[in-house]
Amino acid sequence: MFDPLQASLKIGASGLEAQSRRLRVLSENLANANSTGKTPGADPYARKTISFESELDEALGTSFVKVSGIDRHRSPFRIEHNPGHPAADAKGFVKMPNVDIMVEVTDMREANRSYEANLQVIKQAREMISMTIDLLRSNS
Amino acid sequence: MGLARKAAAVMTPIHLFNVVSQHNRWLAARQTTIAGNVANANTPGFKALDVQPFEMAMEQARLTMAATKPGHMAGADANAPAPGVRKDETWDVTHTGNSVSLEQELIKAGDVNRAYRLNTSVAKAFHRMILASAKV
Repeated sequence: MFDPLQASLKIGASGLEAQSRRLRVLSENLANANSTGKTPGADPYARKTISFESELDEALGTSFVKVSGIDRHRSPFRIEHNPGHPAADAKGFVKMPNVDIMVEVTDMREANRSYEANLQVIKQAREMISMTIDLLRSNS
Repeated sequence: MGLARKAAAVMTPIHLFNVVSQHNRWLAARQTTIAGNVANANTPGFKALDVQPFEMAMEQARLTMAATKPGHMAGADANAPAPGVRKDETWDVTHTGNSVSLEQELIKAGDVNRAYRLNTSVAKAFHRMILASAKV
C-alpha cells in the first residue's frame, strides 16, 4: 500500500531533477559557444543534447521521468575565415562550435517553464497532505 | 435520545466519511497521474494519462453482494481498487508525439486541489458535529 500523494511528490522531484540536468547541459553549450580547437583543423566544442524517457515504476504503477542520455549534436560546424587563429587550417578557415545561442536560450525558457510546472505540482500535493493532517487538528 | 437516533439515522446511510475518503483516494490517484504527466512534459512520445471518472469508480465499488452462506463466493471487493488509468484527450500533440499540455495539467491539478479542500472541509464539519454531540 503506497500513498499516491507521496508518489506524486517523488514524481515531481524526478521532473525537477531532469529539468535541472537539462539546464546544466544548456549552460555548458552557452558557455562553450565560442570554444574552438587548439591545433590547426581541430574540431571545436560540439553542442550537447539531452533526451528524456519515461520510466515505469512497478511498485507505484506510475511513470517517472529520467535522463536517457546526453549526446553530441551532429549538425555541421560553422566555418569562419580567420587566418591568424591557432585552429585555422591551411586556407585560414576555423571550425566554430555548432551552438546557436538563440536555440539554447529558447530551450532554456522551456526548461524553466517545465521546472515551474513541476514545482507547482509538488506544492499542491504538499497542500493536500497538510489538509489531511489538519483534519486531526481540533478547534481550528 | 430521540434526536441522537435521528442524527444516527441521517448520518449512517450517507456513509459520508466513507465517500469522502474514497473520493480523496481517487483525487490523490489523479494528482499522481497529473504529476507523472507534468514530469514527462518533455519526454518524446509520452501520452498524457488521466484516471477514470469518479462516478465510474464508485459504480464499480458500490455493488457488493452479501453472503448468506459460507460457501458463497465474494463479489467485488468493497474496498475501491486503485482507479484505472486511461489515455487522456489532450489539447495538443507536439511533433515529438508528446501529448502533455502543461496548462491543461495545471488546471486539472487546481481542480483536484479544490475538490480535496472541499472534501476535507465537509469531513471536518461533520466531525465537529459529532464531537459537539459527544461533548454535551
